[in-house]
Formats: sequence, structure tokens, C-alpha cells
Amino acid sequence: MQVGPIDVDFLLTILPILLKKGALLTLELTVEAIIFGTIIGLFIALFKISSIKILNLIGGFYTWVIRGIPLLVQLYILYFGFAYIGIQFSPKTAAVLGLSICGGAYIAEIIRAGIQSIDKGQMEAALSLGMSYTQAMRRVILPQAYRRLLPPMGNEFIALMKDTSLVSIISMTELLRQGIILNSTYFRAMEIYLTVGVIYLFMTTLFIYLINRLEKRLAIYDSN
Amino acid sequence: MIVAENVCKSFGKLQVLKDVSLTVKKGEVVVIIGPSGSGKSTFLRCLNYLETIDSGYITVDGHPVGKKKLPDGRLVNDSKKNIYRLRSQIGMVFQRFNLFPHLTALENVIEGPVTVYKIPREEAKERGTELLSKVGLADKADSYPSQLSGGQQQRVAIARALAMQPKAMLFDEPTSALDPELVGEVLAVIKDLAREGMTMVVVTHEMGFAREVADRVVFMDEGRILEEDSPQVIFSNPKHPRTREFLSKIL
Ligand SMILES: Nc1ncnc2c1ncn2[C@@H]1O[C@H](COP(=O)(O)OP(=O)(O)O)[C@@H](O)[C@H]1O
Ligand SMILES: [Mg+2]
Repeated sequence: MQVGPIDVDFLLTILPILLKKGALLTLELTVEAIIFGTIIGLFIALFKISSIKILNLIGGFYTWVIRGIPLLVQLYILYFGFAYIGIQFSPKTAAVLGLSICGGAYIAEIIRAGIQSIDKGQMEAALSLGMSYTQAMRRVILPQAYRRLLPPMGNEFIALMKDTSLVSIISMTELLRQGIILNSTYFRAMEIYLTVGVIYLFMTTLFIYLINRLEKRLAIYDSN
Repeated sequence: MIVAENVCKSFGKLQVLKDVSLTVKKGEVVVIIGPSGSGKSTFLRCLNYLETIDSGYITVDGHPVGKKKLPDGRLVNDSKKNIYRLRSQIGMVFQRFNLFPHLTALENVIEGPVTVYKIPREEAKERGTELLSKVGLADKADSYPSQLSGGQQQRVAIARALAMQPKAMLFDEPTSALDPELVGEVLAVIKDLAREGMTMVVVTHEMGFAREVADRVVFMDEGRILEEDSPQVIFSNPKHPRTREFLSKIL
């Protein structure tokens, strides 16, 4: 069946391949990058708001460098650069590493802003009960910051998902690269890349939906 | 109970506390009055080490605040654990309540005992419910702070501080953020505490309350304690002209 320039039968042939051997990996990369990126981001954020100078410096340096270099270049350094000096990462390792390190820097800024948006009185109230700084963070500050973080974090997660397409250049076979491979067999760029695009769109939409639901669930306590 | 001796404190070039000395005996209620910016809040915050002091010393129940005496008599910075313990034993109530908005009233009250004292949740809830009854809010246990009036929030905040079974309570303008009609309910709770013999330092502009509850009234101005006496003397016959001036403006 033919719809305009698109052959539906061909679409149905490539769709399972793109989903199974592409989209699945993209999802996996995204989830891993989000998890590790958030862990890195949390630490860097805590470094940046810490009263310990050296931690401030490390945190500031990290976000400065990572946010100032394009992710594509970072991936080249991680994969080709390190291979050149004898440290060969697998494409998967380099991909997860690169995405997490980069995502971590942006997430750190989001978390830092979130924590600092919490009224200072909250920390004081927690400390005045005899909590340690860590307890106050964990029990009082972060649970509140968490809710405010969700919208910007959602954006960052979606950006990370889209950024996973960049790792196609280090021969990591995710969704885009699967499309490139298919195209080198079939030479039907429009149909293939359009399908790839629609799959990304579907996945990002799903993410937005999930985050919105989470946001609603967490919104109970400040509704009157 | 609380002894402050020649406490000095600066923020950068601004000296906020100048040789402040104050003794609060067990069971005593001391009210601090004074114009805005005179260092009242800062002084309270020093008492439970939310601020560090530059010189002088403070002891609570005989223990130097934030300091530890070495065998050779020198004072060094105390361990964090001791500072946390000190803070848990001094309740603090803030002008803007500072309730935890993500927790219900009851959860606010049990947060300290559960997190700091590691008391089992169920047990803490029982005691927390009692405390909420005590401040007249038994029916609001499951409400979030955003669902409570200012007066109710402040009463929850008092219950939260009491849940730590403090030896003393510090109140920093507990009714200043409240609509006038809600002031009474909060002051009533504080008066009850006074009657029960709680040691308290209260910063307030409620002169009627001070007259009624205070054992002593302290007038602070520009980082100094200018006058300290019984409420009768302070309100009817203040010695210092600054006190007189302040009172004439506020009464
Ligand atoms: N963290 C701080 N940093 C700098 N200045 C401060 C800080 N806290 C208070 N001050 C200043 O110290 C002075 C006394 O403040 P405060 O103790 O809050 O007075 P009061 O409670 O009597 O109104 C004010 O001039 C205030 O601006
Ligand atoms: Mg004040």
C-alpha cells in the first residue's frame, strides 16, 4: 500500500527492526543516563552548595567544563581519544558514560536551583530540632525540592533521550544508527528517517505523560 | 539554665551583638523587646548555635554551647553530635512558623522524635497526637500546613518543638506574622507552657503578654541590652530613655 511518498508495507518491514534493535536500546541508554546522571547531578549540586571551599570548586569546575563542551566532542574524546591512549571503552560504556557525565552537569544545576529555592527557614527549623545537615537534607529539603525539580528534570530527561541519538557516531547501534544501517541497505531515506523521527516523538511523548502524572501525584500537599 | 556572657557577634563589618549578657534560670520566662534590627533574633539563634559567636560564651544547663572544655581548660569547637544534642534540647519557634509543607501536622510533630531520637513511628504518633490535643489541634492531625490558618500553623510549630521534650523554648516573634484575631490562640498556648514551668525566652512586641507572663523583661537596642527588670518596672517606670522612647512608640 502506498500513501504519498510512503510505502506502508515497507514501513511495516522496518518498524519491528527499528523498535527491537533501535528504540529499545535508546530507551535503555536514556534510563541509564538518567539514573547515573541524577546521581552525579545530586553530588555535584551538593558540592556546589556545600560550605566546603574545595567541594565548591570541584562542583563549579565540573559544570563549567561539561556544559561548555559539546556532547558530541565529549563523546569523541571518550571513545576515540581514550582509545588512542590505550583505554578502549565499548561503545555502550562510552555512550552511557558520556551521556551520564553530560546529563549530570545539567541536572546538577537543576537540583542546585531547586534546593536553593527552598526557604532558608526550612533548614533552620530542621536543624533546630537537632537534625544533622544530612538528615535535614534528606528528610526536609530534598523531598520539597524534588517536587519543584520535576518539571525542569522532565525537560532534561527528554533532552537526554534526544541526545542519545548522538552516540550513533561512536558506532553505538541505537535508534538513529539502526536507521542509518537500514538506509545503507534500502536507500529509502525519507521513509526510514521519518519513521525514526516518529518513534522518537512517541517516546518523548510517553515520557512527558509519565512525568506529568508523577507531578500531579506529588502536588497534593500544596493544594488547598 | 541559660547563661550568656559578653556575647559579641558581627556579620562582616556590622556588629550585631555587643557584649550581651543574660541569665535565664530554670522555669523562668524572659521576654526580649526592642526595635527591629537590634539583634534579638540573632541572639536567640546564637543560643542554640544556629549562629556562631565571635567572643564571649554561652552555656545551656552548664554545657558551653558549641564548645567543649579540654582537660587543660581550653575551649575547642564541640563535636557535631553534641551540637545536635544541644539543639534537640532547645525548642525554637519562628516568626514564620517554618512548618514542613510536605508533611501533615502530625508528621511535622513526629519528624524530630523519629529522625533524631529514633523513636518508633507508632509511639511517636501517640505522643504527637497528645501534643496536638494540647495545642488544641487534635482534629487537624492529617491537615497539611497549607490547609491551616497562621495561628494553627504556629501552634503545630510549638507542638513540633515540644515533641523533642526540650529543656527550654525560644520564641522569635511567634505572633508577628499573624492576623490580629489569631494572636490570642498562640499566646494562650505559650502562657500554658509558662504556667507549667517551661523555661522560655520570648522575643515579642505583645506588651500585654509580656506584662502578664514575663518574670523579666529585657530591652535590647543596637546590639546591646540596655535595661533588664521586672515587667512592672519596665512598663511603668523604665530607667533608660531609649526604653521609654521605644515603649511610647509601641504602646
Ligand atoms: N545572616 C545575616 N547576615 C548579615 N546580616 C544579618 C544577618 N542576620 C541578621 N543580620 C543583620 O543583623 C542585624 C540584627 O538582625 P536581627 O537579629 O534579625 O534583629 P531583630 O531580630 O532584633 O530585628 C540587622 O541589621 C540585620 O540586617
Ligand atoms: Mg527578628
